[in-house]
Amino acid sequence: MKKKRTFKEWIESRDGQQVLVVIAFMVIPLLLLFVFTYLPFGKMFGFSFYNMKYVGARKFVGLKNYIKVFQREDCFGALKLSLYYMLGSVVQLGLALYLATILSFKVKGGNLFKGFMFFPFLINGIAIGFIFKFFYTRGFVFDTVLQWCGFKLDSLPYWLKDQRINNYSLVGTSVWRYFGQNMVLFIGAIMSVDSELYEAAMLDGANRFQQFKYIIMPSIKTIITLNVILSITGSLSAFEPPYVITDGANGTGTYFVVMHEIAHTQQKVGLASAMAIVLLVIIFIATILQKLFFKYVFRNAEDEDPRAGIRRQRAVERSIKRQQRLAAKGGK
Amino acid sequence: MNRKKVLSLLTATAMVATAMGCGAASDTAGTTQTQENKAETETTAEATKAETETPAAEAAPAGELTYTTLNIDDYKDLTASIKFLHHKTDRQADGTMDAMIAEFNKEFPNITVTTEAVTDYAEDSLLRLSTGDWGDIMFIPAVDKSDLATYFMPLDTLDNLSAQLNFVDNWQFDNVCYGIPYMANAQGVLYNKKVFSDAGITELPKTPDDFIADLKLVKEKTDAIPLYTNYAAGWTMGAWDAYIGTVTNGDNTYINQKFVHTADPFANPGDGTGAYNLYKILYDACAEGLIEDDYTTTDWEGCKGMLNRGEIATMVLGSWAYAQMQEAGDTPENVGYMPFPMTVGGKQYVNAGGDYNYAINVNSSDENKTAALVFVKWMVEKSNWCYNEGGYTVVKGGKNPDMYAAFDGCEVLSDQPALAGEETFLNDMNSESELSFNAGGNDKVQRIVEAGATGSESFDDIMADWTKKWQAAQEELGIEVKY
Repeated sequence: MKKKRTFKEWIESRDGQQVLVVIAFMVIPLLLLFVFTYLPFGKMFGFSFYNMKYVGARKFVGLKNYIKVFQREDCFGALKLSLYYMLGSVVQLGLALYLATILSFKVKGGNLFKGFMFFPFLINGIAIGFIFKFFYTRGFVFDTVLQWCGFKLDSLPYWLKDQRINNYSLVGTSVWRYFGQNMVLFIGAIMSVDSELYEAAMLDGANRFQQFKYIIMPSIKTIITLNVILSITGSLSAFEPPYVITDGANGTGTYFVVMHEIAHTQQKVGLASAMAIVLLVIIFIATILQKLFFKYVFRNAEDEDPRAGIRRQRAVERSIKRQQRLAAKGGK
Repeated sequence: MNRKKVLSLLTATAMVATAMGCGAASDTAGTTQTQENKAETETTAEATKAETETPAAEAAPAGELTYTTLNIDDYKDLTASIKFLHHKTDRQADGTMDAMIAEFNKEFPNITVTTEAVTDYAEDSLLRLSTGDWGDIMFIPAVDKSDLATYFMPLDTLDNLSAQLNFVDNWQFDNVCYGIPYMANAQGVLYNKKVFSDAGITELPKTPDDFIADLKLVKEKTDAIPLYTNYAAGWTMGAWDAYIGTVTNGDNTYINQKFVHTADPFANPGDGTGAYNLYKILYDACAEGLIEDDYTTTDWEGCKGMLNRGEIATMVLGSWAYAQMQEAGDTPENVGYMPFPMTVGGKQYVNAGGDYNYAINVNSSDENKTAALVFVKWMVEKSNWCYNEGGYTVVKGGKNPDMYAAFDGCEVLSDQPALAGEETFLNDMNSESELSFNAGGNDKVQRIVEAGATGSESFDDIMADWTKKWQAAQEELGIEVKY
């Protein structure tokens, strides 16, 4: 039996030192994570059960705030606007993937194009809001450009006033801002694909599209999944374009804008906290559904499944054994 | 090996120490926050504390530090450094604020005043207030009146103050005033005199029907936009709320006392008055195409010059906007101000009231409190800021700018405060019903513009919806319906 060590001995031993250093290094990030992420979140979760303002007394109301979130028309009505942004994110990812594929092959001035397309992502969201406010103003930038192309001002719609298209206008700004970032992420992923694969594919007579479909797509599926999940989550919580450009008025108030209005103008902090929690749950559900969806879509692509290789090897081994058995039988 | 060990241990301790520092800092932040959040329970305690502390202030020989008893000439040698948080970013930028402080320092050389202008004042100041880190003087944001004593020093009793100043009842609680307006606004309508005369309008409109008829004349005979809504800016839409009560009902007790107890405040009284007909003007103007072409991209800074140049005929805004419109172009003489076109019982009423109110931090040191009060008193009585901004005079018997000439013959009233014990009712109703009258409820007015311009909702449907929300809030809060 091992001799029992005192604490002092243990802490001086190699094991003890290891534990000590591990703890010392972990304490800081964990503390920061707790203080700036989980503590505020916990506080907000607590707030969602109260009827309260920023200042003044609080009243515990149980689940009443949550019931209100589901009863109010404006909360879930606002979520419908997320569909516009989801549609936008499909366009955005398609465009980004297309351009990333083109730019990952040899293109003249490729870096210049990359720079130009990534540039909008570097601008502050509020500034973009102001840019597009003027861009869409009647008779300003966008209308002028379209007039050069031969459109008549009278036949052009009001980009922000017409409720049938104003959400598309806003989604356009968000696509403009983020597709460059998605593109750069895609290019990064595509760069990591082994170039020998392209050569091999070319020797086999595969064209560019086939190379894209059978080499690039399966190789970067992780990054595609990630971008889609981020875009859908972003669509559910769209805020800056409607807040800055239209102030959420005229039928453009997304869930976040409504939440902001309730939290800051109406000062129903409890209700707004409940809305935030409900949105969190919705995002969780959306993310899980997407995970399942991608599992289904990519079930045939095994490149990134670490067990696929093992399975294949086992299958090969089995078939060899079977052949050996057959050979042995035949030998009899 | 040994050295490595020592090194790793050192790093570890250093890191733990930093982490502890972090923890401690956030701890203190946490306690201040909880302190503030306990406002309700501590209000009375803090108030009494403030009251007992003030007479003990060494700098105040006369005993209690109050606005009316303070003789600012006694404090020429006072040394202090105070900070003033305000919303007038334009006056900070154009040097007016610095010029006033320089003027102040001629008389009080040892009081250093630093100022900070906040752009999104209504929201940011509330957050600053809850952190406690905002300085010594600020303009009171939308706090509950029962919380006033938690944050601000009592300035004087309502009776004492109202003998000398106008509009001081905005921020009073239990007859103690916590704020003094820096200027007062009268609520009327901005218009361009030249556009009106070009359109052949000789007499200013007195009723909603006259007003709409005049707007149509403007549209027919001139190129000006008859009524500019300033829809996109948002708060400019909320400005329509300011006319409820005195202007729409000819009753200065309406908005703060009767409104919350009214079962159906948005019903049509049928004689061109009331909140119904106030917002109906906006709806009709939108429905008849008497507003700007694309209201979603209006530009607040740009509209000032447009009114000045005669590209806009009218805008519904308080008198504070008058000076800005005059400054924005080459024809300031064309900018006019008229009473709101609504006649109640044969008379036009004008609502005048204080703008933002100066208030002093209850947690400042005694010296800073005294210096702050000296500064506030000087600003109110000697700086001429109110007059220069085109404000209605705050000091009783003070000089009024010429722009109020059209208000002769109108009854100028200021809204009466809420009844004792009911101070929080309007705030509560605003918050519960989410209509937020005079408290940032811009979207409800924007909805009228959208509905009027697109025809998506009838005006009566909107009013019915408001009534429904109002009554639900009354029921939820248990507010008695009396009218």
